[in-house]
Amino acid sequence: MALSKEIYAAFEAVVGKNNISQDPGVLQTYRCKASQSSAHYGPYNHITPMPQAVILPGSTKEVQGVVRLCNKYKIEFKASTTFWSAHGYISSDNAVQLDMRRMKNFTIDPKNMVAQIEPYVIGATLQAEAMKYGLTCNIPGVGCSSSTLASTSGWTGGGPISVFAGVNYENFLCAEWVLPTGDIVYSGTAGAGGDWSCGEGPGPSLRACFKGSTGQTGDFGVCTRISVKLSPWPGPKYLPSTGYAPVYLADLPENFRAYCICFPNWDSWAKAVMKINDNYILYIGHRQFSMFGNKVKGAMLKIITDQDLQLCDLPALMEDPETDKFNKSIAIEAYIVLAGFTPDDLAWKEAALDEILKEFGGWKDEWFLEKDHENYLLTYLIRLGHKNLNYVLCGSYEGHYGLCGHNQVVSASVMEEASAIREKAQQEGTYMAATGGDSMMGSLAGVGGGGGPMGCEFFMCFDAHDPKSVDECRDFIDNVSRPWSLGKGFGMEMCNITSKMRRPDAYSYTQEEQNAMYKDIPGANPFVYQWYMREAFNPNHLCSSYYQTCDPKAVEKK
Amino acid sequence: MALKDFIPMQERCSNCSFCKWIPFDKVKSVRFAENCPAVVHGGFNTYAARGRFQMGLAIAKGELDYTDEMARITHECLDCGACDVACKVCRYNLEPLDHNRELKHDALLKGHILPAQLKMLDAFNEEKTLVVGAKKADRTKWAEGIEWAKKPEVLFFPGCKYSYDKKLQKTARNAAQLLLKAGVKLGYLGDAEMCCAGRLYQMGFFEQFDKRAGANIKAIENSGVKTIVTPCSDCYHAFKRLYAAKGLKVEVLHVVEYLDRMLKEGTLKFTKAIDLTVTYHDPCHLGRQGEPYEAWEGHEKKILNQVHTWEPRRPRYNGSKGIYEEPRNILRAIPGVKLVEMERIKEYSWCCGAGSGCSVTDKEFSEWTAKERIEEANSTGAEALVTACPWCKDNFEKAGGIKVVDIIDLALKAL
Repeated sequence: MALSKEIYAAFEAVVGKNNISQDPGVLQTYRCKASQSSAHYGPYNHITPMPQAVILPGSTKEVQGVVRLCNKYKIEFKASTTFWSAHGYISSDNAVQLDMRRMKNFTIDPKNMVAQIEPYVIGATLQAEAMKYGLTCNIPGVGCSSSTLASTSGWTGGGPISVFAGVNYENFLCAEWVLPTGDIVYSGTAGAGGDWSCGEGPGPSLRACFKGSTGQTGDFGVCTRISVKLSPWPGPKYLPSTGYAPVYLADLPENFRAYCICFPNWDSWAKAVMKINDNYILYIGHRQFSMFGNKVKGAMLKIITDQDLQLCDLPALMEDPETDKFNKSIAIEAYIVLAGFTPDDLAWKEAALDEILKEFGGWKDEWFLEKDHENYLLTYLIRLGHKNLNYVLCGSYEGHYGLCGHNQVVSASVMEEASAIREKAQQEGTYMAATGGDSMMGSLAGVGGGGGPMGCEFFMCFDAHDPKSVDECRDFIDNVSRPWSLGKGFGMEMCNITSKMRRPDAYSYTQEEQNAMYKDIPGANPFVYQWYMREAFNPNHLCSSYYQTCDPKAVEKK
Repeated sequence: MALKDFIPMQERCSNCSFCKWIPFDKVKSVRFAENCPAVVHGGFNTYAARGRFQMGLAIAKGELDYTDEMARITHECLDCGACDVACKVCRYNLEPLDHNRELKHDALLKGHILPAQLKMLDAFNEEKTLVVGAKKADRTKWAEGIEWAKKPEVLFFPGCKYSYDKKLQKTARNAAQLLLKAGVKLGYLGDAEMCCAGRLYQMGFFEQFDKRAGANIKAIENSGVKTIVTPCSDCYHAFKRLYAAKGLKVEVLHVVEYLDRMLKEGTLKFTKAIDLTVTYHDPCHLGRQGEPYEAWEGHEKKILNQVHTWEPRRPRYNGSKGIYEEPRNILRAIPGVKLVEMERIKEYSWCCGAGSGCSVTDKEFSEWTAKERIEEANSTGAEALVTACPWCKDNFEKAGGIKVVDIIDLALKAL
């Protein structure tokens, strides 16, 4: 359904003729195969709806103008920046897509360690600019190609450096937010007419209202500017790297150490990680390469650190006894970076790490102690610029997380169970990828930041264009996660969150469907609260079901 | 390959947007972090490699027909290959650059040719050059008076731009004379020289390229040379990669490689000091696309149940083996010259804007692209922008804002 000439002209008057299109070819490039984002979307050939137009606003004023027109003409809208997954795309036929790429201004306030950013400032660019001031930002697990504003205002934003720099939703200070009605709200000190250095509080927070329970992923108006907390960076103003694509190596600054620390069993791993966190010695802590799966991990590490190796070398590398030995060494591991703010600081952190490793029978893997590998690890973890490796094996992946939220309690059991289920599935199913699946990947900081619980995800690869691959991946994820998340009360897993935001056919859930999903939630129902929020701030219901709601009447009927 | 043969790649593009940025480990600033002139200029995802994959998929499946706008966007790609390098920082089974070219080819096959492309094609057919307005009869004028070797071992191939552009002819002439003076048994095809057609290939005119490549290979083989040396990056890419795929067996060198070799052998020495701070622009078709050709024939294969790979091993062109150090070695060897680097260099260099015929077909876009690069060059504090490609030089000079120097001219000045 094309916009009428009148409506198109109205949008065009706001953003200019070069910043709006309803050409079918342009519209087609703002769609996403749903199953590419989750094996729980499908069946396979479902693609997100065709937008009525794509609009590129260049300022908050233009965003406001567009949103007001959407209200006038009752057209849904959704803003996105880097379009990493189906989350960023519209979920209704009656919608326009906002691409925020023209808004990429930023300022850094080094004194207050704060950056003020627009949507198209990504982790890589913000970090590069912050480093010039001796600062860095948290880059979430999705990688530095993603919008910092999006992960901060619309999702959770935990990543490798979160153990030191906090999770993005914690770092979220002030916001400039174009509400679904077109009104603009300023929060924190920005709202009080001051600078942008401090968020709200104590007490109820507008940030929480707009973010919702899981992050609104662009579904509660348009966040056009935020301020986000930065953290100290004790390295050079620019981290130089040598080598050519794809093996870039940073020379390790003298005050940095990068290690792969390994343990004989999950119990000692969990206790050691807790103790490491309790002692605040990490600059970065992450389980990263486990995403490839334990049998594939060693071989893939050799491939991605060697200019001349390719995926076709996997089988031979996996059969190599040396790789097998390597895999055994790094089977139960974590990747860490220590940063010394003074020589004594680094010496203390090194000594503390060694003592903890000794106490729990751990070791530093020797392969990662080789200079080139250590430098690769450092570059990888600091910049997080290789996260497309998530897709490298099969083209798509499913991650479910939440169930690993308490590493001491869950890790060992879950890992063992997942491995057993995966082994069984691979024997029985021809199309189950022999990669991932027994890999708890994620930050050692997790949602708590600075220690305590962690937010790892089980990571399973699949081919979104092979129906059997999608089926078997989905079944595997369900078989592993449901007994734990629902049966044992560890909370929702990632696949559950994803599949409750958008219907399998890639469209929004209706209110009735949402009511059915959420009316029986025990205790205080956050989705009823969000229903009231939605009615107050989004009365025309112009944003999609990513902002999950439950009509209180449905609960009363119960 | 036809567009439909790219369907597996089109489907497996993971929408990650890596193709819009330089490799992230190399990002130094917000200002110079993006790599694709087309998407920065055009704005919509459609212009990026990921958008081209998505649009191409719908076309290949018969779900979408070209509109005029789609055809325009399809051809507004500089063939610079920056997306290809960025994609392959992680991905092993996607070929964005090949796909971009095939999409252009598909559009042309379906009749979507730009008016300016028609003019170029006419010039190519009638005057054997893509320089619109040039005459075949004038092609050899630049070389008048040069005494070529009677039994040449090395063929000097200046290409269309050096042959016809009066501002550049002297550079070609000096380069040839330098090599002759150094004792190189250098020859020239003379009237038999025709456009290499590499630029036509970049634009998607595959059939026309094939025909011309066949004729040129025959002429080169008949000349009996063992080596071709060219000062033009487009010709270099055509011979080294595209002609090699068609069976050309001779060694292909750019003049900068030859000069670097002479410097290392001691047959060339720079004696005059040039007090100049310069920055070097890596031409796309000498740098990231200047990798040697590797023959391959094979098919896709899944291993470990769902891992997409190739059988046998497929060459992986990711820019890592391009020509980067040779021109820099020359600049470092010239007394007084100080080389300062831009933020986007080597395999992640920003394009000059002249690729794929865009300096003719889309002048505003082409000039904008050049201006972006000039701004980056000026940010280094350099007094001059040095390059090793006549198309880059010409495009930068048209855009203005910095002194532009051909590396050959600089080298000759230091002798």
